[in-house]
Amino acid sequence: MSNPLLTFWKNIFGQDADERRIRRATFRVAAHSAAEASATVFLILRRMRVPLIVLIVIFSVSVLGLTLIPGQDAEGDPMRMGFFDAFYVMSYTATTIGFGEIPYPFTYNQRMWVTISIYLTVVGWAYAIGSLLALLQDRAFRSALALQHFSRKVARLREPFLLIAGYGRTGELLGHSFDALGRRFVVLDRDNERIDGLELDSYHADVPGLTADARDPGHLAVAGLGHTCCEAVVALTDDEEANLAIVMAAALLRPDLPVIARVTSRTIAERMQAFGSPSTVNPFDRFGDHLRLALRAPASYQLLTWLESGPGAALPERGAPPRSGRWIVCGYGRLGRELTNDLRAEGLEVTVIESGSPDVENADVLVGDGSDPWVLAQADLDRAVGLVAGTDNDTTNLSLVAAARRSNPDLFLAARQNRAASAPLFAAMEIDALLVPTEVVAHEVYAQLSTPLLWRFLREMPAMGDDWAAHIVDRLRGLCGIKLQSLWKVRLTPEEAPAAEWWLTAGDAPLGDLLRNPENRDEPLHAIVLLVMRGREVTLAPDDGFVLQPGDELLVAGWAAARRALDTALLVPGVLEYLVTGARVPSSWIWRRLKPAARPTRRPDAVPGRRA
Amino acid sequence: MNLEKVVFGFFVLLAATLNFGFFIGDIDNPELHNPYELFAAVVVNLIATVLKFGDRTQIGAVHLATSLVADLQLIGAALMFGYATYVSTAGMNEAWTASVVSLSGGALLANIVSVVLLVVETVSFHRG
Repeated sequence: MSNPLLTFWKNIFGQDADERRIRRATFRVAAHSAAEASATVFLILRRMRVPLIVLIVIFSVSVLGLTLIPGQDAEGDPMRMGFFDAFYVMSYTATTIGFGEIPYPFTYNQRMWVTISIYLTVVGWAYAIGSLLALLQDRAFRSALALQHFSRKVARLREPFLLIAGYGRTGELLGHSFDALGRRFVVLDRDNERIDGLELDSYHADVPGLTADARDPGHLAVAGLGHTCCEAVVALTDDEEANLAIVMAAALLRPDLPVIARVTSRTIAERMQAFGSPSTVNPFDRFGDHLRLALRAPASYQLLTWLESGPGAALPERGAPPRSGRWIVCGYGRLGRELTNDLRAEGLEVTVIESGSPDVENADVLVGDGSDPWVLAQADLDRAVGLVAGTDNDTTNLSLVAAARRSNPDLFLAARQNRAASAPLFAAMEIDALLVPTEVVAHEVYAQLSTPLLWRFLREMPAMGDDWAAHIVDRLRGLCGIKLQSLWKVRLTPEEAPAAEWWLTAGDAPLGDLLRNPENRDEPLHAIVLLVMRGREVTLAPDDGFVLQPGDELLVAGWAAARRALDTALLVPGVLEYLVTGARVPSSWIWRRLKPAARPTRRPDAVPGRRA
Repeated sequence: MNLEKVVFGFFVLLAATLNFGFFIGDIDNPELHNPYELFAAVVVNLIATVLKFGDRTQIGAVHLATSLVADLQLIGAALMFGYATYVSTAGMNEAWTASVVSLSGGALLANIVSVVLLVVETVSFHRG
């Protein structure tokens, strides 16, 4: 496509017809929602008609009367008030300011008329102001104003943003992680208090939030579903149906967007899969997977949870769950089911305690309330190795854990925390593996969306084995201390690393040369490359001799200062030459002219014979 | 018969006729232009404007726009009238009268557009 005219033609008319249809559809949906909001404003204007007309009529009658009634000036000669004087007197009388009788003392005729008009105008004025204030307090009017304000803010966003539908505890955690990364997001929630809470949460960036039902596609469209900068939709409401509706709306109106939804039942997850391929996060399923990983490879699990927790997270302790023996699972709900299956898949014995009559296959079942000491005694705690307190009641879970620890202090204890308010109690219990469904979902979504490379790393990492993971954890801890520093992505493309192109294309670009301090090349950079992606191939934790190629994408962990240093090396000409060769290259034009000999011969544009 | 339409038509027409009544006559002769008529025109125009609030149709929007133009010009005329009477040393002479009346003439044009819109709306209304 070398012909510029043809390019132009293609840009205008060559767009995919399908894409345009989708754009139109989202636009229509958003327009409908916006029209609803403006309808409310029109209704308010309509309701203001009567008070305003009453006010105008009362004013005009009073003013007219005052101009018609004969008065007298200071000398006692008859005169009539002009319109301006009359309007002035009526204005300050109606607003109860009352400057007195201007320009001359009134006659009795005038005073009688003014007495009548005082009562008329004050009532008319109070009526108009009162109606206006009442309308401003009107719920419908306020929500219409909020909707307009919100849609304006969203429409003005010019950087990629995330659409979070459902701002509960999970949404808040996710929001804070994303805010720490400097990413923008837009929030929809049905609860007014949650949206009001947005202003109290100390976010760096302005977060547009709207109190609205996310099941309505119009609200999603107003929140930026049709916006070109929208990069993903996350459905985090506590209502399974609502999440399904959000996934449906996103898949039908913007099939190109990634969608992540929280689910707790397999049925809904499968119904969601019918719409494109949304990524579903089931906290119970994920906790089961994590527990299996923790059983098999404690260090891998430790690395996974640390990286998932986002920047600033403290290094979690490396647990050592028992790999053989009998486990007791209290509560056979959604979590109990997943865990029983997962534990049994690991070849462990499982005893289930459930108050109902669960249909458990091939397992020990104790029917009874787990918090009942007698029932717990039946479960033979002394010979068990682990206990899962997985009911949906925090009090029950806590008392289960306490009772179990008293009868067998060596038990490995896993518990489910349902409410955020119980967090200090569970922390005080020092539980070996704590499931907080909201946190599991938030971490998972963060890992998937923060950078695709992190998600890839976390998925590939368990295959490398436990020793490898322990080694990576040690390296990271040596570098960052016990708090995780930033994680970022570096793309070695001509656009994002212009100063490194010559080095990469030369074919001999070991990673170790890049990870040096630009101030002093003998010092290493405080960063670790966790992953290199080339095309679809990935290399985990490459060593210093790894040869980079143009187009590689790197996932780097380290200090913010290292990030700046690396950016300098990749963007500023000459810095990388110092890192590679050790020779300081002048960067200004004049010094380059004066010292041409300092040019390295490896640089492709350096002509060897050109010496002044 | 819709009472709302009657009231609406009444005020729109009255605004135009009062405006016309003030405007008609030699442009520089203050005796031919009654200030009470200007006052009435301002008040009726304001009422007509408020009656046009909250109409979502295209024609409603144009209606409101014409009324706002007429208000602006008439209030301008009233302000000039007040300035000439109270502030200016010359008083209500020929030049001031001409300015006031020409402003009200502009408002008259807007009011005529308003009446035309009213007629167009009525004529284009089909029953059934």
